Amino acid sequence: MRILLVEDDPALGQRLGDRLRAADYAVDLATNRAEGEDWPDLDAMAAIILDLGLPDGDGLDLLRYWRSRGVECPILILTARGSWQDKVAGLNAGADDFVVKPVRFEELQARLQALFRRQMGRRDNILKAGSLALDPVGRMVTDKGEPVSLSRREFALLHLFMRRAGQVLSQADILEDLYDLDTERELNTIEVLIGRLRRKIGKDRITTLRGMGYRFEA
Amino acid sequence: MSQTHTPSSGSLRLRFILAVTVWVVLGIGGIWFTATQVFASHIEEMYHEELEVHVRELARLTRLDADGTPHLDRPLSDPRYEEPLSGFYWQVSVAGRPTLKSGSMVRGGLDESVAHSPDIAHVVENGPTGPAITYGLLQTTADGKQVHIVIATDQSELEDDIAAFTHDLTAWLASLAALLLATGFAIISFGLRPLNRLGKAISRLRAGKAQRLEGRYPSEIAPLVGDLNAYIAQNSAIVARSRVEAGKLAHSLRTPLAVITDEAERLCERESCATSGQVLLDQAEAMRQQIEYQLARTSSVAGALVPGSRAVLPDLLVPILNAMRRLHQGKDFELAQMDAPLRVAVDPVNLAELLSILLDNAGKWARDKVGVSVTRTAADEVTIRIRDDGPGMTKEQIALASKVGTRFDHSVPGSGLGLAIARDIAEVIGARIELASSQQGLTASVAIRA
Repeated sequence: MRILLVEDDPALGQRLGDRLRAADYAVDLATNRAEGEDWPDLDAMAAIILDLGLPDGDGLDLLRYWRSRGVECPILILTARGSWQDKVAGLNAGADDFVVKPVRFEELQARLQALFRRQMGRRDNILKAGSLALDPVGRMVTDKGEPVSLSRREFALLHLFMRRAGQVLSQADILEDLYDLDTERELNTIEVLIGRLRRKIGKDRITTLRGMGYRFEA
Repeated sequence: MSQTHTPSSGSLRLRFILAVTVWVVLGIGGIWFTATQVFASHIEEMYHEELEVHVRELARLTRLDADGTPHLDRPLSDPRYEEPLSGFYWQVSVAGRPTLKSGSMVRGGLDESVAHSPDIAHVVENGPTGPAITYGLLQTTADGKQVHIVIATDQSELEDDIAAFTHDLTAWLASLAALLLATGFAIISFGLRPLNRLGKAISRLRAGKAQRLEGRYPSEIAPLVGDLNAYIAQNSAIVARSRVEAGKLAHSLRTPLAVITDEAERLCERESCATSGQVLLDQAEAMRQQIEYQLARTSSVAGALVPGSRAVLPDLLVPILNAMRRLHQGKDFELAQMDAPLRVAVDPVNLAELLSILLDNAGKWARDKVGVSVTRTAADEVTIRIRDDGPGMTKEQIALASKVGTRFDHSVPGSGLGLAIARDIAEVIGARIELASSQQGLTASVAIRA
């Protein structure tokens, strides 16, 4: 899952980015408002984490700008401004949640998961597809109740497939979701990854559509 | 806004009224006393002069017959001496001869001893009709006969004249005093009118109906009003700046604290440093709580110092409820219809903070619905009720709820500071928070002065 983190503090941005990557999110980091305004393809983001105190402008203005441009992905404000006045302003400007620094990563992740759940209209975290179940918080995958051992990338790929079950995903879509902009990407990495995942969860679950991409069969 | 009452040294109006009353009473009383004294003395002098004239006239008209019996050439010019018991009497007596008396003296007689010398003498003694001022002189005829000539007037005549004057004077002076007092009170009222206007302007300021002291004032108090308005404006600016500065301080602390928290979490993940990491995490959490709590307190106290603050309901609630609907999606935040907007005399930032905390709590615990109502519960009180359909709280939980850091369910996000902050804000803005739990859920009521 791809996340845009807008944070001007280099140390915190680095740390949060590392944490999110360790939790299998692909993280892009913007450090000011101008970068945020020009960021391409924001709707490919699973979520945006936005700091309000940016060096070249107010994060709230950036939030309003995005929403006015039709950006629909969930936006979580992570800021040092702790008053309800700020929270109400942020939520009414189009944020989906508001977290005050400092926050334990565990809670931040729970808030992100809640946003994803809300976006997908689910009440719990567990994603299900037939006998397959994936718990993004517990980082567990089971098939017919039996645990399935997956690497971090395989888990992230399955998570993407299950979130968008029945949809055709191109290799570019998968690369976008799994890897940071900074990471060197090779298309054959995806083929290798899909091959490994098929072996672990069953060949028939992922269909290859020639020239188009892959589809996870719900 | 909390109000401090400076001990009063009494009413200025009462002081003026007392001063004017004392002045009028003393002035009019002095005039009354002096006038009655002067008049009594004057009228007495006139009486005496008149009696002297009469006694001289009587002496001049008195003749003795050949046998020495006294008679008058003609009656005295004052007819009152002929009217029976009129209070005006005379008599002429010669030893061994019948005493000649005025027609008015139908009974009794006068003591002739006052007529003991050729010079006129007078005494007060009993006459035919009570105490009388008696004048007399002694004339000696050529043949050596002594003629006692006595004239008397009842003292009551003099006293009645003095009493009549005093009565008229008292009535007149009382009317004058009443007129002076009424005029004095009217002048006081007129003179104090600018101060009354200032008092009303201060009341409007306190009630949140004005942001400054409004109106035009006389040159004597205009500088004071100007200074007060400048002070209010300066105070508001200081409060706004202090809120911003407090926010900046918190902001500058929170980001490094976030880095410390992250580092502590990383330490916790390493077995060798887990204990140190946990200590750091706990301390970072304690610091976070203190920053949040003290910042909220500072902000609320600062807000309470701004005079003339007011919040309008439901306008204040609308953006908060919209934010809550976004934050707690799937839960219905419903505001009961209000007949008319209600104004409350509190800082809107403080009230918004307080209501946001209670609404967020309600949103966290509600199953499906949070109901909000705003009603006027007394002439000077507005109550906001926030009802959720959640599990409610036990009496023990309600008692503990305001304690800093109290959390009853760690699966529900929160800092455990909300209600403690809400209570503090309520105290600062003079509001009352009551929590009541039932099977239908929890109701938080906030009563605020209108």
